[in-house]
Amino acid sequence: MIEIKNVSLWLGDDFQVLKNVSTRFQKGRTTVICGPSGSGKSSLLRCINRLERFQKGEIIVDGLSVRDPKTDIYKLRKNVGMVFQHFDLYPHMTALDNITLAPQKVRCLSRQTAESKALQLLERVGIMDKANSFPAQLSGGQQQRVAIARSLAMEPKIMLFDEPTSALDPEMIGEVLDVMIDLALEGMTMIVVTHEMGFAKKVAQEIIFMDHGEIVEAKNTSDFFNHPDHPRTRDFLNRILSHV
Amino acid sequence: MDWTVISRNIDFLLGGLVVTFQLAVISLAGGIFFGVLLGLARISSRKYISCPATLYIHFFRSQPLILVIFWFYFFVPILFGKPMSAFISAIIGFIAFETAYFAEIIRGGIQSISKGQMQAAYATGMKHHQVMRYIVLPQALKNMLPSLMTQSIVLFQDTSLAYVIGLQEFLRRTSLVDSREVKSIELYLFSALVYLVICLTMSLFVRRFENKVHQGV
Repeated sequence: MIEIKNVSLWLGDDFQVLKNVSTRFQKGRTTVICGPSGSGKSSLLRCINRLERFQKGEIIVDGLSVRDPKTDIYKLRKNVGMVFQHFDLYPHMTALDNITLAPQKVRCLSRQTAESKALQLLERVGIMDKANSFPAQLSGGQQQRVAIARSLAMEPKIMLFDEPTSALDPEMIGEVLDVMIDLALEGMTMIVVTHEMGFAKKVAQEIIFMDHGEIVEAKNTSDFFNHPDHPRTRDFLNRILSHV
Repeated sequence: MDWTVISRNIDFLLGGLVVTFQLAVISLAGGIFFGVLLGLARISSRKYISCPATLYIHFFRSQPLILVIFWFYFFVPILFGKPMSAFISAIIGFIAFETAYFAEIIRGGIQSISKGQMQAAYATGMKHHQVMRYIVLPQALKNMLPSLMTQSIVLFQDTSLAYVIGLQEFLRRTSLVDSREVKSIELYLFSALVYLVICLTMSLFVRRFENKVHQGV
């Protein structure tokens, strides 16, 4: 479904964020990407829908080349939903309008169709009563659930999550993870950058550990936790799991 | 002091005020319209769009307005190949000049909107013009309304400079009455009062609006 081949990304002239990264993500599976901050996990995610332009290598999403200038990137993005660390809702619009904007403007749905779809999605993420609230009136957890609904409204084939719970108060993390778990169990193809190892154990089929712009280790979930090969992976797991 | 000079010429003077308002409103509308376009061009990632826009802005912001008015007065007839009224050439001059100032205000407003929201919008498949129209501009215009209004007040006062090309706006008519009746003190006090009342009303309006903007969101 997504194939990443020898991708290198530089920010500025001499700062290399991704170093020759190759991997693939399969349809219907959930992959968690973890690693210390600055390891390039978010950048890798942002290369997949060309929010970041990488200089070398190739990414193929559902048969479309991300790097090829002839690719209709807007068409590609329609199929790839993305959820961000800081939610990034449009503050001048209600929750409902946040969700219905792209379906109306990109998928050319009527307002009525888009709204009834949006209300279903809000029900699915458990905040139907907040349809007419503005982002500033919502808690972080509620905002992130609206953001997830906003992405799902485009009916994407793939969902990218960029540290979706990192900016949340601890008591709100659960409500967002619950939505993501449901989504994963329904068979959505998901790539999740997160430090929530409980989530990873529960729903991820595969875990990728990144450090210094490289994939250090990529394994199925139980192997990753039980038999990590690389000392850097073990070191990271020890530090991150010691508090659990 | 003989204040009857005002009442004797009030129709003539108010007629000038109408011209002043026409000049201000048309220049304002044109300045904001082209200012949005130029402001967008200025922050374009394409060099062949941003460079000319930047040059234009720097050029007009380094010229005295009175020179621009003169310049367009002589230049516009050549451009169109026929004589133009002072009103038209003043309008074109004001729009050309104010566009540069409004463009800078609009650029600032656009750059005040967080990149995250734009990226979230791009991620849903929206195109650049849609992101600008539905996400960035509605918020940016709201944020920059106070600066836009302040610039509009400045523009209103600056319309008096059209006097140099003989346009009979409010101040020009005041001086015409003065040359006939020689009542400088009364006439210029009156015109000062008129500008004071209009501009003060506008700034009070701006301040109330600013408070509202700060309370909301």
